[in-house]
Amino acid sequence: MTPGSTPAACAALLRRDLTLAWRRRGDIAMPVLYAVIVATLFPFALGPEPALLARIAGGVVLVTVVLAILLSLDNLFRGDIEDGSMELLMLAPQPLALLVGVKILAHWIVSSLPLIVVAPLLASMLKLPAPAMPVLVATLALATPLLCLLGAILVALTAESRRSGMLLALMLLPLCVPVVIFAAGAVAAAQDGLPWVAPVAWLGAGLVLALVLAPLACAAALRIAMDS
Amino acid sequence: MANWVPLWLHRLSSPPVFYRFAGAVRPWALGLALLLGGVALYGGLFVAPADYQQGDAYRIIFIHVPSAWMSLFIYGAMAIAAFIGLVWRIKLAETVAMESAPVGAAFTLITLVTGSLWGKPMWGTWWTWDARLTSELVLLFIYLGIVGLYHSFEDRRQGARAASFLVLVGAVNVPIVHFSVNWWNTLHQGSTVRLLGPSHIDASMLWPLLTMMAATKLYYVASLFARVRADFIVAESGKGWVRDLALNTPGNDAA
Repeated sequence: MTPGSTPAACAALLRRDLTLAWRRRGDIAMPVLYAVIVATLFPFALGPEPALLARIAGGVVLVTVVLAILLSLDNLFRGDIEDGSMELLMLAPQPLALLVGVKILAHWIVSSLPLIVVAPLLASMLKLPAPAMPVLVATLALATPLLCLLGAILVALTAESRRSGMLLALMLLPLCVPVVIFAAGAVAAAQDGLPWVAPVAWLGAGLVLALVLAPLACAAALRIAMDS
Repeated sequence: MANWVPLWLHRLSSPPVFYRFAGAVRPWALGLALLLGGVALYGGLFVAPADYQQGDAYRIIFIHVPSAWMSLFIYGAMAIAAFIGLVWRIKLAETVAMESAPVGAAFTLITLVTGSLWGKPMWGTWWTWDARLTSELVLLFIYLGIVGLYHSFEDRRQGARAASFLVLVGAVNVPIVHFSVNWWNTLHQGSTVRLLGPSHIDASMLWPLLTMMAATKLYYVASLFARVRADFIVAESGKGWVRDLALNTPGNDAA
């Protein structure tokens, strides 16, 4: 890779974001800890009856992961905007959408991969039957990048606003409803021994669409937010 | 062909001109909306016969259905205005998009409330997680998110641009609400009024419904114009025309 070329810039940005995340390893553990704590609240609230827990396990893990991603999204662009590197990214000769896409990829690796790793553990704590486990991991592998991409657009919009935490939840909920429906549908179907390929395929289709459109939308939203 | 139409539209997009135009149109729209709404309510509540299956409880459609139409119609109008505002940076389009959102949210809330009032006698439940109901609730959340985002910025125009962008992102939900009755066959009944082809509803019930639809459209215009006028006064408070407006005697103002 020649220095200054687009692939080199993307690789450098990815390396930088991952390094920054690695230097603050404690922050990586936060979404995972949050998911574990929220998931353990359900048996306390609903009672430890295994049949009931098995019934809700898939949905609980999905909602927990959505909430953990929602919380982690808030600092997707914050650091870069505060220290001014976002302006430099916008002035870079490489297309902003591509660089933003790389940043979202880095964020997904840092925040969502640990969640996917820990999800089977949470699901087995909640007595999810073993045959549904691979389907849960597969839906999470498709649903988490989709949520990160959708969320990134909204984070970019609120980047410069005063209060964004609660607002982000209000804005992300309508967009993540279809994702949750299809993901939970696939897990529930696998649990009942029904074919589960169709909802997973819908998630995949949504992910492909978001991969193409979301970075462009995100770049446009950042330009709007950073206008002043 | 004369080019006075684009010229007039261009002039209209200037805040003082639109302020006067909206002030002139608004009383007529509001009066006509109240008149048509009264006629439609009389027609719906007293003239139309009771339904053979649902009895008198069906009469809530004269509020419920026009509100549901408006909840989608206003989103469509808002999305068009937001697109125009984002692309051509016309202040009027941005203001129209942002001031449409609370009106749309109100109609969505009316739809949800009247729907649950109707659902109790018909289905035996106030609320069910049916596709239509849920997507309408999601629509309400989108409206509230837009309003929230608009007001979370210090700079009004920056907030308007960000929220306009959210309007376009959230537009994916509108076709889902619209087609949810056809796609998922659950508790909510299918559509009975068709634009193309014959409606599955008796003429004596159809005319109050269509009259109420016209009334809600006019009410939207009246409400929107009042909101836009107020918004322009705040946004342009430093400008000369607002000062003239404020200093003139009430009988002599630009409205």
